[in-house]
Amino acid sequence: MDLTDDLKVIDEKLIKELSNIAKDKIEYWDIRTGVNTGATLDFTDSKSKEISSHYVTDCGIRTFVNGGWGFSVLKDLNRKSILSGFQESIKLAIFTGSLSKNRFKISQRDPLIKDFKVSPKKKIEEIDIVEKINLVKSHEKLASEFSPKIKNTHTLYIDGHTNSLFVNSFGNHITQDLSFLRLFSLVYTQENGSIQRAVNSIGGIGGFEIISTEKAEGLSLKTAREAVALLKAKSPVGGKFTIITDPKLTGTMIHEAFGHACEADLVLNNDSILKDRIGEKVASEEVNIVDNPTMGQGKRFGMPYELFGCYFVDDEGIPSQKTTIIENGILKNYLHDLETSSRMGVSPNGHGRSSSVSSRPQVRMGFTFLEPGEWSTEDLIADTKNGILCEDFQYGYTDPSTGNFQFKCKFSYHIVNGEKKELMRDVSLSGMILEVLNKISAIGNQTSYSDGMCGKGGQSVRVCDGGPYIRIEDITVGGLN
Amino acid sequence: MDTNADIFTLANYGLSLIEQKSQEVRCAELFFEKNKYISIEIEENSVKNSELGEDNGVGVRVVNRKGALGFAFSNKLIKPMIHELCITALKMMNASTPDPDFDNFPKPYQKYPTLKGLFDGNLKTLQVEDSLDYVNQLIDVCEQDKMAISQSGSFISNYSKIFIFNSNGLEVSGKDTSCSLSSHIIVKDDVSKETSFGYEWQSERSLRNLNAVNIANTALKEAKRNLNRKKIKNMKVPVILTPKGTIQLILRPIASAVNAETFQYKRSYLVDKRDEFIGTKYLNIEDNGLIDGAIGSSIFDGEGVPCKNKKIFHKGKFLNTGLLHNSYTSTKEGTQSSGNASRSSYSSIPSIGVTNFIMQNSDIGINEIIKDVKKGILFDYTGDTPNISTGDFSGLILHGNMIRNGEIKEPLNETMVGINLMDLYKNIEAVSKEYKTYGAFQAPYTLVKDVQIIGGAS
Repeated sequence: MDLTDDLKVIDEKLIKELSNIAKDKIEYWDIRTGVNTGATLDFTDSKSKEISSHYVTDCGIRTFVNGGWGFSVLKDLNRKSILSGFQESIKLAIFTGSLSKNRFKISQRDPLIKDFKVSPKKKIEEIDIVEKINLVKSHEKLASEFSPKIKNTHTLYIDGHTNSLFVNSFGNHITQDLSFLRLFSLVYTQENGSIQRAVNSIGGIGGFEIISTEKAEGLSLKTAREAVALLKAKSPVGGKFTIITDPKLTGTMIHEAFGHACEADLVLNNDSILKDRIGEKVASEEVNIVDNPTMGQGKRFGMPYELFGCYFVDDEGIPSQKTTIIENGILKNYLHDLETSSRMGVSPNGHGRSSSVSSRPQVRMGFTFLEPGEWSTEDLIADTKNGILCEDFQYGYTDPSTGNFQFKCKFSYHIVNGEKKELMRDVSLSGMILEVLNKISAIGNQTSYSDGMCGKGGQSVRVCDGGPYIRIEDITVGGLN
Repeated sequence: MDTNADIFTLANYGLSLIEQKSQEVRCAELFFEKNKYISIEIEENSVKNSELGEDNGVGVRVVNRKGALGFAFSNKLIKPMIHELCITALKMMNASTPDPDFDNFPKPYQKYPTLKGLFDGNLKTLQVEDSLDYVNQLIDVCEQDKMAISQSGSFISNYSKIFIFNSNGLEVSGKDTSCSLSSHIIVKDDVSKETSFGYEWQSERSLRNLNAVNIANTALKEAKRNLNRKKIKNMKVPVILTPKGTIQLILRPIASAVNAETFQYKRSYLVDKRDEFIGTKYLNIEDNGLIDGAIGSSIFDGEGVPCKNKKIFHKGKFLNTGLLHNSYTSTKEGTQSSGNASRSSYSSIPSIGVTNFIMQNSDIGINEIIKDVKKGILFDYTGDTPNISTGDFSGLILHGNMIRNGEIKEPLNETMVGINLMDLYKNIEAVSKEYKTYGAFQAPYTLVKDVQIIGGAS
C-alpha cells in the first residue's frame, strides 16, 4: 500500500470544487490530512510487553464565518467523504457564527506553496523490527546490570512517520514528510524498604540516527545511576531558599510558569496575568526570553537531527520563526495563531499547533529559551551562601491567571557557603511567576535544552525548552519535613 | 463500513487468516471500536467552535505458544487492511520475547450482567443544535454575574460501539453513550484587580442528567471563594479535602496502587500491606462496575470479561482481594480476572483501570465537620500527584482556603502540603454525608488531622 495514495485524493480539481462550495458561504477554510505509520516497543525487565505497529489516516476540515469555527473530523480519506465533511463543517461554522458574540475577520495572507521534508540519515521504515528490539534490549540490559539495587527496568521506544498535506482558502498547498523517534528509560531501585525511580527520555525529528548519539546511548545507564543515587537522597526541609536552577529546570520554568501566560488565546480569554502588559517591565533587566522553533538548530547543541519541538510551518501553514517574548525585562510579544493575530492586529508568528490533524490548532509554544548571561556555573555556586541547586525536573504546572506555579525537581543539592553538599529528592518549588522573574539575581553562561510533550486543552504537542543556570532569591520550597 | 454484519465478516476473516498463517499462535483477538462525537466549545463566554467527528478502528492482538505478543492497529476497516494488520501482528509476535506468565485470552462466558442506563438513544441521534440549551445555560450564568469576566467550557457527547472477538470463541459487543459539560469561569475583583478561576464538570451516560446551571454556578462559586489570596506561614493543622481533593489525594493514588500490574512489579506503596489495617474506620472503598447508568459501569471489560463489584478497603483494612486485575495479571497471581482490563481505544493493548471507584460517605454533614475546626485548611485541588512507589506527596494547593473558628476564610497563595499517604490514611478523622461524582470517581469530604503546611509568607 503506497503511503501517499491516501493524500492524492485532495487534488486540484477537488480543491477547486471545495472553493466553489465555500464561496459566499464562509470566510476561511483549511483542510489537513495525514497518513501516519509507526512502531511502539515497550519492554519491562527485558521482556516485551508490547510490540506494535500502526497505520492511521485522518483528516480535519476547519471552516470559519462570523467569528465562529466549524470542524469536522474524518478517518476515511475519499473524495465523497471529504466533500460531505466539508459541507458538514460549513454548516457547523454557520451555526457557531450565528451564536458568536466576538465578530472578527481572519486576516488575509499570501499563499505558501511548498514541500517540506526532513531527510533522515537512517530511515526508520528501513530499520527491521529485530534491530529496534535489540536496541531496546541492550538498554534494558545496561540498566538492569548496573546495580543489585535495581528492582525494575522499563524501556519504551516509539517511532513514527507522517506524510501530511495542508490546503486552505488563501491558496496554501503545503506537504510535509517527516519522521520522529523517542526513547524512554525508567528505572526503579529498592533498598531497605525505600523505592525510588528515575526517568529520562530523548527525542528528535529524523531517523534512527537519533538513538546513536552519546546522549541516547547513555540514556539507560544515566537513569539507573540516578535511581540508585536517589536511594541515598534526603527529603527536603520546607521553607524559603535561594535556588540555582540548571538549564533543564530553567527551561521548564520559563515554559510552564511564563510561556503559557504569553499564549494569546489565554490573554484574550482574560486567563493570563500578562494581559495588557506588552511594553511593560515584567522581569529583571538581564532577562531575555525567546521562542524559536525554526528547523536547523540541532547542530547548535551537537545533535545530528532536528530538535523535537521544532517545525517548518505550524498547523495553520505559518512558517516557524524566532519571536522575542521578553527583551531586557520588557514584555514584547505574545505567541499567536491565525485567529489571535487577526484579532489583535499583529502578524501571526507560527504558534497555531495541534496534536494531530484530527484536533483543532491552539496557540502553543515551540522551543522556549532564556538567553544566557555571564556567570560561570562554578561562580554561581561559590557565590551562594545558603541555597539549593536544583537539577532537572519531574513535572511542573501553573495557573496562568494568577501566575502561581509549582515544579518538582529531580535532583537537588544543598549549597552551604558556596559548596555543593548532600543530595535531596522530590524538592518542590513554588512561587508567583512575575515575582520570580524579578528575583533572578544571576544568569549563567552555560546553556542546554530538554524536549518533551506539552499538554493543553486535551492535546499534546512536541516542545523544547532550555536556557542557562540561573539563581533566584527567596523561593518557597516544599517538603515532607 | 456501516453495518455490524461487516464487522463480523472482518473479524472472522482475520481470525481464520491468523490460524492459517501460523501454527505457533496460541490465541488471537480482534478488537473493533466505532465512535461518533459532537462537541461545542465556549471561549470568552461565547460559542466559539463546534465539531463533529468519528473514529473507527481495529486492534489485532496475537500471542504464540511461548507467550510472545504482537499487536497492530489501524483506523481503516477494510479487508486488505485487516489482512495487512494480521500479517504485521504475527511479524511482531515472532520478533517478541517469550512470557511464561501468559496463559490465554479469556474463554467465552455463559453469563453477563444486565445493566440499565448505559445507552441514551437521544445521544445516538443528537445534532449539534440539540445541545445548545446546555451551552446557553452555562453562558447565562457567567453573563449575569458582575464579577465574572470570562468563561471557557464545552459540551461533548459520544456514542460508541465495541466488538471483541477472540480465537477461544469469545464474541461480545456493546454500545454506550456519554455526555459531559465543563465550565471554567474567571472572576475579577474590581477593587483589588485580582483575578481567579473556578472549574467544574459533569459526565453522564444520559443527556437528561446534565445540569448546566449547577455546573456553572459551582465553578463561579469556587472562583469567588479563591479570590484575593493570601500567603500564610508554616503550620501543622487539620485539612478538609473536598470531594475533588479526596479524589486527588485518596482515590486516584489508591486506584493506581491497587492496579495489579503496578503491584506485581512492586512499584506500589501498598505492596506488603495486604490484609493490614492501614487506615481509620472511615476508609471504605469499592470498585463497582455494576451501577445502573454510571459512567464507569460496563457489561464487560476491555477483554470481554464480565464486570463486577469489588471491595478494596473495609474499615481501614486493605483487603487481600482488593486488587484490580486483567486476565494476564490474574493468571500470574492464580486468581480470576476482576473485569478491570481497560482499553482507551483500539490503538492500545489492555491495561488495568477502575470501573466506578467509590469512597463510602457517612451520615455527618460537612457543615458539622467544618464547624469543629478551629484552625485548618480546606483543600480543593492541586496540580500534583503523589509518588505511587513511595506514597510521598508534596504539592501546591492550587485552590484552598483557611478555616478559622469553623468558617471558611481567605484563599491561599503559594501554599504547599507535605504528607505521606500512609500517614494520611491513619489521620482520617471523618468523612461527610455529602459526596460528588466526577467521571468514574465518587468521594465525600474527608477530614485529615495533623497535616504539614508550608506557607509562602516570611
